[in-house]
Amino acid sequence: MAELSAQYQVCVHRTIGAPAGEVFDAWLDAGILAQWMKTRAFTHASAKCDAHEGGAFDIVMHGPEGEIRHVGRYLVIDRPHKLVFTWSSPATGHRDSLVTVEFFGHAGTTDLVVTHRQLPGDACSSHNEGWGDVLERLSHLF
Amino acid sequence: MGCLRPKFTHMDEYSEDQRLNDVFTAMADPTRRAILARLAHESARVTELARDFPISLNSTSKHIKILERAGLVVRTINGRDHVLTLNAGPLAEAAEWVQHFERFWDERLAALDQLVSKRRTGAKGTGDG
Repeated sequence: MAELSAQYQVCVHRTIGAPAGEVFDAWLDAGILAQWMKTRAFTHASAKCDAHEGGAFDIVMHGPEGEIRHVGRYLVIDRPHKLVFTWSSPATGHRDSLVTVEFFGHAGTTDLVVTHRQLPGDACSSHNEGWGDVLERLSHLF
Repeated sequence: MGCLRPKFTHMDEYSEDQRLNDVFTAMADPTRRAILARLAHESARVTELARDFPISLNSTSKHIKILERAGLVVRTINGRDHVLTLNAGPLAEAAEWVQHFERFWDERLAALDQLVSKRRTGAKGTGDG
C-alpha cells in the first residue's frame, strides 16, 4: 500500500528563477497573481488581494464554460520567507483548506515549497469567531 | 489539463465532502496512520491493537471510532471479538484530492516560474520544464 502519511497532504517543490522577494510579491500582487494563477482550461483570471494578515483574496478563473472562484484569507505574511492562507474552491467542496508556502532564496533563485492540506473537520471556523481566534486555533498547523 | 474535475462542483456531493473531511481528520494523526498500516496487512482484533500499540485500550478505542466514522475501518463482531478490517475506498478519495492539487500546484508554479523568470532581463532560466 502507498505511504499513508503522504496521502493527506500535498507537497510540491519548484525552483523559481527569481529572488525570494520578487517571488513572494508575485503571490500578493493581484495583477501579477491573475497572470499565473489560472489553469490552461481558462482564458484569463481576475484577482483581488487584501495583502494583510486576516485580509481576504478572491481569484476568479474565467473560461468558455464558466467561472471558477477561489477564495481565502491570509493567516501569515512573513516576507520573504513564509505565506500561509486558507483556500476554498469547488475542488475543496467550498470548505477551507490550508496552504503554506515557504520561500528559500539562493543567489537569485528561490526554492519554493507549497504544502496544501485539508483542515480537520473540527477546525472549520464558526461565524462568531474573531479572526484572531481562528489564527490561534490553526497556528499549530503551520 | 489542469481543469477542475466536475465531481467536486456539485452541491449534492456535500455528504461526500464531509466524509472526505473525516478522512483527513483520521489521517492527520500518526497513531491512526499506524493502525491503518497495520490493518492494511491483515485484519486485527481491537484487543490485539491495544496490546501492540503503546497506548491504553481507551485511547485505542477512541482512535478506532474516528477511523470508523471516516469509513476507513469496518468492525465485525464475532461473539466477544471485535475484528477490524481496512476499507480502502475513502483512502482512494483522499488520494484523488491529493493528486488533483499536486497537479494544480505543479502547473501554477511552472506558470509562476515562466512569468517571473521572463520578466527579468538576462536571467538564466531554471530549465525545469
